Amino acid sequence: MSRARPIERAALVVAVLVAALAVLGPLLAPHDPYAVNLAQSLQGPSAEHWFGTDVNGRDVLSRLLYGARETLPATLVVIAAATLIGTLIGTLAALGGKVLDEVLMRITDIGLSLPSIILALGLAAALGPGLRSAVIALALTWWPGYARLVRTLVREVKDAEYVDAARTLGVSRLRLVFAHILPNALGALYVQTTLDVSAVMLVISGLSFVGVGAQVPSAEWGAMIAAAANNLTNGWWAVVFPGLAIMLTALAYNLVGDWLRVRNDPTLREGAR
Amino acid sequence: MTETLLAVRDLRIAFPGRTGPVEVVHGIDLDLARGEKVALVGESGSGKSVTARAVLRLDPDARLSGRIDLAGVDVLALPARRLREIRGARAGLVFQDPLASLNPVMTIGWQIIQPLVIRGVPKRIARRRAIDLLTRLGVRDAAHRFDDYPHQFSGGMRQRVVIAIAVIAEPALLIADEPTTALDVRVQARVLELLRELAAERDMAVLLITHDLGIVAGFADRAVVMRHGRTVESGPVEEIYARPRHEYTRALLAAVPRIGGDPSRPLAVIGEGETC
Amino acid sequence: MLTEPLLRVENLVKHFAGRRVLDGISFEVAPGEVLGLVGESGSGKSTTARCVARLTEPDQGRVTLAGRDVLAAGRRELRAIRRDMQMVFQDPYSSLNPRMTVAALIEEPLAVHRLEADRRRRRDRAAELLELVGMSAAHLDRHPRSFSGGQRQRISIARALAVGPRLLICDEPVSSLDVSVQAQVLNLLGDLRRRLGLSILFIAHDLAVVYYLCDRVAVLENGALVEIGTREQVYGSPSHPYTRSLLDAVPVPDPAVERARRSDR
Repeated sequence: MSRARPIERAALVVAVLVAALAVLGPLLAPHDPYAVNLAQSLQGPSAEHWFGTDVNGRDVLSRLLYGARETLPATLVVIAAATLIGTLIGTLAALGGKVLDEVLMRITDIGLSLPSIILALGLAAALGPGLRSAVIALALTWWPGYARLVRTLVREVKDAEYVDAARTLGVSRLRLVFAHILPNALGALYVQTTLDVSAVMLVISGLSFVGVGAQVPSAEWGAMIAAAANNLTNGWWAVVFPGLAIMLTALAYNLVGDWLRVRNDPTLREGAR
Repeated sequence: MTETLLAVRDLRIAFPGRTGPVEVVHGIDLDLARGEKVALVGESGSGKSVTARAVLRLDPDARLSGRIDLAGVDVLALPARRLREIRGARAGLVFQDPLASLNPVMTIGWQIIQPLVIRGVPKRIARRRAIDLLTRLGVRDAAHRFDDYPHQFSGGMRQRVVIAIAVIAEPALLIADEPTTALDVRVQARVLELLRELAAERDMAVLLITHDLGIVAGFADRAVVMRHGRTVESGPVEEIYARPRHEYTRALLAAVPRIGGDPSRPLAVIGEGETC
Repeated sequence: MLTEPLLRVENLVKHFAGRRVLDGISFEVAPGEVLGLVGESGSGKSTTARCVARLTEPDQGRVTLAGRDVLAAGRRELRAIRRDMQMVFQDPYSSLNPRMTVAALIEEPLAVHRLEADRRRRRDRAAELLELVGMSAAHLDRHPRSFSGGQRQRISIARALAVGPRLLICDEPVSSLDVSVQAQVLNLLGDLRRRLGLSILFIAHDLAVVYYLCDRVAVLENGALVEIGTREQVYGSPSHPYTRSLLDAVPVPDPAVERARRSDR
């Protein structure tokens, strides 16, 4: 059986911890994350401020704890929405016949060619700047990659002998898709989505950096890095700790995702005996 | 007695497993005289293929012990870089799947002459010998087909190309691992015929690995029946088929459906509870 | 034939990429009869099976099962027809959904055809079917991956039998199995056929296997049916040269016979 290896257990602990910190952040934060105190500007790590303070004298640790409440849900919403749309479009394209395939794939191509920043700028203009516009823009530009992947995966599986076998049994089309095709096709998609957690986190930060994502004084992790980048030489802690938070979280979710995939795939599990 | 070409003594083969090495062949003895045709017969998991591959040390993961003597060369003592001296020159190999064992992006001619070219035979001479050999193997218009690619050949023709690659350097031993399993019966009959003729013309020994008791009967002089990594029985095919000594051999022979047999009688089932 | 045929196939024609792979195939299978369909690769035997099962749509022709038109049937009618006609595939490693347990695999047809509404009874039925094909009900909660090829083929057969079909279409069901396992599956098919009165359309390239199991044999060459007759006719006095060349090429597990044959050539 696939017992979790030590590194996977550690990853699971980190992933749960980050999620817990995101929920409990306000209770744990030692300071007000938004309280500007220029007298305390750019203090290094100390007993008072474990991770130091930023240029406005705000406690970096407290801001990280609050920031988790923005970065993490935003990332997960983007991934979930993109997965849902991508799976729907990709599956329909693979199974719906030539015409539908052609139409959906052209739409996907258009989606692929949309730069997320431009779309985010447009949405920011329409809906007002903020994390919400960034999330919507990102979800709308992220799904086409999944649609293509799902289309390929489903096409590989749809002619498998066990799908034919189910057809001859008289299994309905809906059940064919949900019980026989998708569970076997989507393994590679799960891996892709967990790998994408880090990428999405970074793009959200990027959007925040150019001003169409999270707005000042938000403690969104990417926005924190962006704001502190100018003072890297005399205040490395304000950049490094949010950076480490992003890296550790992304890594943890990757490892957990991979472990879940192996655990949930009977073809990998029982074959290893 | 004729001259011994291949002598295998107490060959044990193990592969690395999760909890240390797993032995899959537990001490096999095998002898082939020059020009002799021997069949290594068994079902999947019998160890017949790994045994044959061990003769050329084809599995780098395998841990081999015992002794393999091929035309005076101690195969197991040979340093890895000198293995090329025996592969191709002393022993050629034919695998089951003719498509998978040919390189799809190289012409068949290029692939056939490689065993000669790497031994320093000039290309022009190698080419002529390859065309002669293909013609001998029944490839029509061999000179023109020399520059074709594997996908332009049918399954049976591809297997002839694979055989050409295996025998062009005139090895004393040909190891054929299920060479006709992927082929239709009529093509199978023709390919076996060709192998038999080549063996006779060149005094080449053949080690045929197969699960098919039918083709063993028509092809081999002697048979070695393997099961679970051990030799169950060996001897001249006439004796084994007429008077199988071991229960497993008997059951195996009785498990094969035969044209002209009595269909109302169930086929023999090999014991050991739920074997299948 | 006095009895009305269970399966009637008339003039099947199918093209793939401009090539005529089925060129007017017609045959019948009587109730309780086993018909063997033999031929080399590319002869169209598997395509014929797939057209009969309506996994592939033929360009022309008619398939009638117990008086019902298979090719003209709408979705609902086709489902009803499939209760009478089940299929067993060649590769036991790819014909079972790797993510489903044995219980789920065998129960699926029962649920789909609403043959057994109660969950527990469905499971009991799955256990019975598993025992019918010679396997222990203790295997119900395992996945296909943990079984050998022969066991998987038994599971496939149990699954096909779940809906109580009258016709079983077997597409090379033993060609990827070891000799001893092949014998077990052939014995099982022969046994089931006697016990359940099944008709079987048996597709194979191995003429000895077909001889063992089939009452009548149809020989296909390049998409055309060149000979059809009883086992004794086709094997004893084949009328078509292609059939004769096939029979001549079949290796016989008897060195004396093989030697005599070679000296004849």
